[in-house]
Amino acid sequence: MAGVLVKGRFPRRRLIQAVATNLVRHLFGGAARSWARNIGSTAPAIGSMTLLLLMSGLVGLTGFALHNLEQVEAGQASLLHVYLRDDAKPPDVASLWRHLLSDARVAGVTYINKDQALERAQRIPGLPQLADATESNPFPASLDVQVKKIDDVAAIDALVRYDVAVDPVYPTSYDKGAYQRIQAVLFGTAVAGFALLGLLGFVAVTVTMNSIKAAIHARRDEITIMQLVGAPRWMVRGPFVVEGAITGAVAGVVAGLITFGLTFAGIAAASGAFTRFAPGVTVTVAAAAAAIVLLVGLGLGSGSSLISLRRHMET
Amino acid sequence: MRPIVEFAAVTRAYGARVALDDVHFELLPGELTFLVGPSGAGKTTLLKLINREIRPSSGRLWVAGMPAHQIKASRVAELRRRVGVVFQDYKLLPRLTARENVAFGLQVGDLRVSDEEARDRSLDALEAVGLGDRGDAYPHQLSGGQQQRVAVARAVVGQPQLLIADEPTGNLDQETAWQMMDLFEDIAAWGTAVLVATHNVEIVTRLQRRVLTLVQGRLVRDQPAGWTGRMAWLASS
Repeated sequence: MAGVLVKGRFPRRRLIQAVATNLVRHLFGGAARSWARNIGSTAPAIGSMTLLLLMSGLVGLTGFALHNLEQVEAGQASLLHVYLRDDAKPPDVASLWRHLLSDARVAGVTYINKDQALERAQRIPGLPQLADATESNPFPASLDVQVKKIDDVAAIDALVRYDVAVDPVYPTSYDKGAYQRIQAVLFGTAVAGFALLGLLGFVAVTVTMNSIKAAIHARRDEITIMQLVGAPRWMVRGPFVVEGAITGAVAGVVAGLITFGLTFAGIAAASGAFTRFAPGVTVTVAAAAAAIVLLVGLGLGSGSSLISLRRHMET
Repeated sequence: MRPIVEFAAVTRAYGARVALDDVHFELLPGELTFLVGPSGAGKTTLLKLINREIRPSSGRLWVAGMPAHQIKASRVAELRRRVGVVFQDYKLLPRLTARENVAFGLQVGDLRVSDEEARDRSLDALEAVGLGDRGDAYPHQLSGGQQQRVAVARAVVGQPQLLIADEPTGNLDQETAWQMMDLFEDIAAWGTAVLVATHNVEIVTRLQRRVLTLVQGRLVRDQPAGWTGRMAWLASS
């Protein structure tokens, strides 16, 4: 009797399991073994990348703190004090107030009476002595005008300084140069930071590329055999990309932990000073910075491997 | 019957030197063919063209239904999975056992093959080449002939439509070389086209199979099976 050929149906679950097992073995297992075997040649790459990532983390946190500081300073620099005459009539003051509030460039107006002005002056170094020198209160009442854009402060100043309610001798005050000085410092810091990171990045990528080149060289027979027996391109190249990613991840973990540790120690040791000089830098922000450092490490490691593969692996 | 390999006016040059010049021939399923010629005649170039290690300079070349003369780099692996290759120097991975080497050839080509299936099929392939009991041996623990048989098992375990072998008996003694030829005849008998590049005149003349002769890059003779031996001059006269 003739036999009947029955085509077996492979269970889907076992198929997925087989594909997953083979993927993990070829991509990750082989890469991890090779990485461990070549740890000697990979160590310089880990070192340079750790340094780069650590610097990136710290520069990033510093940049974040400077940005917040700039925002605080910009807010303060865009505050225009409009000093009122001692004999200003309430209807004139009210008229000036309404005029300012109706201006689209103005965010808000606060009235500060003479007592509040004195109280504020007593908190500023040098001014309490001046307050004590006279029996009467020398500080005038004012309208504190919060301008939306710092560039418009001068225009608002020109608008109000000759108003009948405003003190003709000392009409207004604001710090014209403070914001520009902060921006100049920020720009200089950013340029220096990016130059340093660029240099370190070049060194780290070059060293990582060389370590991958050495790994390719060490496994060239295996690569040739894989290519000749029909291994797909991703299977030949994938393990090297994973190897680079492992290097980046190890450097990222080390750099991330140091970044977080230093920031945490700083916050714990001097929280007051930290809040003043690095506003916004909290434990949560430090943890986020550490996570970003790790991700950048992964990207940098695998990216360097890809470049190295393009240059050094024949197809 | 559709040919497995089809060369149509294929030329391959390395700079100014022409390694293969206007070659035409076809290989059919189940055909065992020898490729002969002096050193530098273009035998290895021809095999490399089939396995798409190199591209032809001109002409058309079809391998197992794929246009090897124009396929993209991303499809080369697919072509190579349809071709089994046996090398003179075996090209076995030293850190893998014989069975693992055979399974490696199977699993890098097809991720759907489970470990269990790969183990069974590689043991079957090793059994078929007479090494069923040496599956756990590493390459350095095997003789040259045994290593070559492992390479053959790796080449055929994925059931390719075509098997090419570049001087497979070059490093073997005469007795082992004959065993290897028996193996190739068995593989061809199951429908696989087998192309063997060799210098071994005795094997070629005694087996009475089709012979392609290359001289200075040109295919000067295509003797059908049974037309070899001492009376071969009749074919070219």
